[in-house]
Amino acid sequence: MTVNRPVSFRSFRWRLMAAMMLVVGLLTFAGLYFAQGKALASAEAEHHREFRAALAALNAAQATRADHLAERCRTLVGNPRIHAALEDDALDLLYISARDELSDLMRPVPAGASPQSPVHARFYRFLDINGAVIPPPKNHDAGALGPGEEAQLSLPRLPLSTQLGWVNRKEGPHGDEALVEVIATPIVSTDTRRAIAALVVGLTPTPVSGLTATGDIRAGLWSGGRLQLAGLEPAARTVLGSALRALSVREDRQEAPATISLGGRPHLLFCQPLNAGSLYPVAHEFFLYPLDNAVAQQNRLRWQILGAGALFLLGGLGSSHLLAARLSRPVEKMAMDSAVNALQRSRAEAALESTQAELQRSARFSANASHQLKTPVAVLRAGLDELLARQDLPAEVRSELEGLVGETTRFTSMIEDLLLLSRVDAGRVRIEFAHLDLVHLVATCLDDFSVLPDPFDLEIVNHLPDTLSISGEKRYVAHILQNLVENARNYNRPRGRIDLSAHAEGPQVILSVGNTGRLIPREHQPHIFDRFHRGATGADLPGHGLGLNLARELARLHGGDVRLAISEDDWTEFEVVLPRQAGPPRG
Amino acid sequence: MIPLRLFALGAALTVGSLTAAPEGVVEGRVTLPKAESAPVVQQRYEIVSKEGTIATNPPLAVVYIEGPFPRAETAKVVQLAQKDLAFIPSLLPVQMGTRVEFPNYDDTFHNVFSFSPAKRFDLGRYRPTDLPVPSQVFDLPGLVTIRCEIHQHMRALILVLDTPHFVLTDAEGNFRLTQVPAGTREVKAWINNKVTRVRTVELVPGSTVRVDFP
Repeated sequence: MTVNRPVSFRSFRWRLMAAMMLVVGLLTFAGLYFAQGKALASAEAEHHREFRAALAALNAAQATRADHLAERCRTLVGNPRIHAALEDDALDLLYISARDELSDLMRPVPAGASPQSPVHARFYRFLDINGAVIPPPKNHDAGALGPGEEAQLSLPRLPLSTQLGWVNRKEGPHGDEALVEVIATPIVSTDTRRAIAALVVGLTPTPVSGLTATGDIRAGLWSGGRLQLAGLEPAARTVLGSALRALSVREDRQEAPATISLGGRPHLLFCQPLNAGSLYPVAHEFFLYPLDNAVAQQNRLRWQILGAGALFLLGGLGSSHLLAARLSRPVEKMAMDSAVNALQRSRAEAALESTQAELQRSARFSANASHQLKTPVAVLRAGLDELLARQDLPAEVRSELEGLVGETTRFTSMIEDLLLLSRVDAGRVRIEFAHLDLVHLVATCLDDFSVLPDPFDLEIVNHLPDTLSISGEKRYVAHILQNLVENARNYNRPRGRIDLSAHAEGPQVILSVGNTGRLIPREHQPHIFDRFHRGATGADLPGHGLGLNLARELARLHGGDVRLAISEDDWTEFEVVLPRQAGPPRG
Repeated sequence: MIPLRLFALGAALTVGSLTAAPEGVVEGRVTLPKAESAPVVQQRYEIVSKEGTIATNPPLAVVYIEGPFPRAETAKVVQLAQKDLAFIPSLLPVQMGTRVEFPNYDDTFHNVFSFSPAKRFDLGRYRPTDLPVPSQVFDLPGLVTIRCEIHQHMRALILVLDTPHFVLTDAEGNFRLTQVPAGTREVKAWINNKVTRVRTVELVPGSTVRVDFP
């Protein structure tokens, strides 16, 4: 038998595979997403650490310088000459008075030697009590500054603490403008504890203000719109400037970097104010980290993950195939079984249908046949009755005729049974359940039999209780009783006995009809309810082989049954099961 | 030293009596600013410079009368001593042309100098034993802050005036100027380098005029 795989099974496998591929794909993309994010985030975190370390180093260096200068200013103010110059209207003598104290600040550091003082100055200036720059005497070397440059050192008022700032100054042989770090330290009067002046020192730029920018990492300064970062294209300078402006104006004070593109290369830009709260314009330190490495790493990761994803997908495809096959085997079997079942069912249904039709046909045939047969039998019986009515018949003819009348009676009963059976088979018999008094029914039946000739001289014992009710249709229940009692009489022996008893058992009533006589041979017992089965009883006995079958069919229509209970030695007993009717009879 | 001073004083008096000009007395009281802190037991006046204002603490005032008075022919000599690491007196009014000596009575070096525009000088380091006593002639009117280059806290004020008629008030601000030539006079009270009060008085010969500076 070949069964086509149902479509539902194929789609099941496809769906299983599609789901697995979807899962693998999702995992791949999730991995890709997180790994990429992680690559960037870790690069950012690492750079952030570097930036903070660099900033911390810078701050520490600045703090050292500030401390040094504060100490220097305490020494300065301890000098009565400087006090005198500041307080006694002798500002012209200030620089001269401070020359000794500050001479080492300006001393050039020999190449290769580390400066002895943490502060090495390009220039210094004093601020007066109003914060304005006190110009140095003509021949005094306090570091050359242009008028514009000098003006940048002024403060709106004297500071109370060290102030950091960055000012523009033309530096180097080519006069390139550079941002120079300046530190303004107040000079506090020992008398009044008030600032009476300030010393501003312009520091010699150490390599990018003490920051070590290695490799591609670039550090720069940004102050007042000026950008200090060498070797930057003008376009990149503009981009960087606007990015720095955006970063510098944010108010959250977060150190979150910006990502900008310089010359087509992505960079991470960190920016932090170096002198927040200073009286000088705010200057920002910024770090530029090229993200080439991170991006390359990201790309590498992307390909790795994509490769892994593809492998996964392939593996997933294979394993999903296997798994699907494995998983689907029972499903397939179920599907096939169901296909086979469906086929068998449809065949059975077809067979049932044809059987039904056959049955209908045969039932119709039986009904028709019975009907067609009844008429000639009636005619025959009438003819025989007419002949018997004649007085001139010889005795042997009369006896023969009487035998023929008996045969017509049997024939009629057989035709009636056939008719009823055909109606049962055709499903035309509907039981109209009613409350029946079984005791009364049995008594009536026995009464009917008592008028018949009794060649065996039988003893009939009725053991039925006083009351026992069943539910059923009277004529059919009577038919069953009649059939069983008739059989008990017919298959009895001389001076035998018929026992009738009944008892309720749950929702049922069981009526037993037992009789003495030959047992039903064991090999015939399974067939006694078959139609036209008469067993080995012999043709001399009345009956036509339909009675038991009809009785059982009728009992079954009532929801009960007729069965052989005992058949041994001299005793055969049938049981009729019928539905019990609880409560008193109605009507 | 003292004979010299006496001589100078005598000379001045002689000159005054010779001209026999009519004279009177100006006296009164200058309301002094409140002291920065409670006066110490050992009454010592220190020089305080605060936001450009230089004065003594506790406050003292100098009352003087300017006018076309003849200069002394012989330079007056006064002393501003250094004793117990302090200048004594801390506020010294002198007439223009006065020579001020700076004797060192401490057992240590001092280095008296001034950056004040009225008199810039630097006496260098010297011990009590270094002679002659370093001195300077103050020939420009104005306030001169005297400092010691070694001892930061040591300061004194010399108020150089173009008049012989001046007097230092007491701690309560009371003053008395004698032998003031009669006539219409402007009486000035120097309280610090920023504040000098002026009152005009009509001085009748032989009389005493009271001038209070609120």
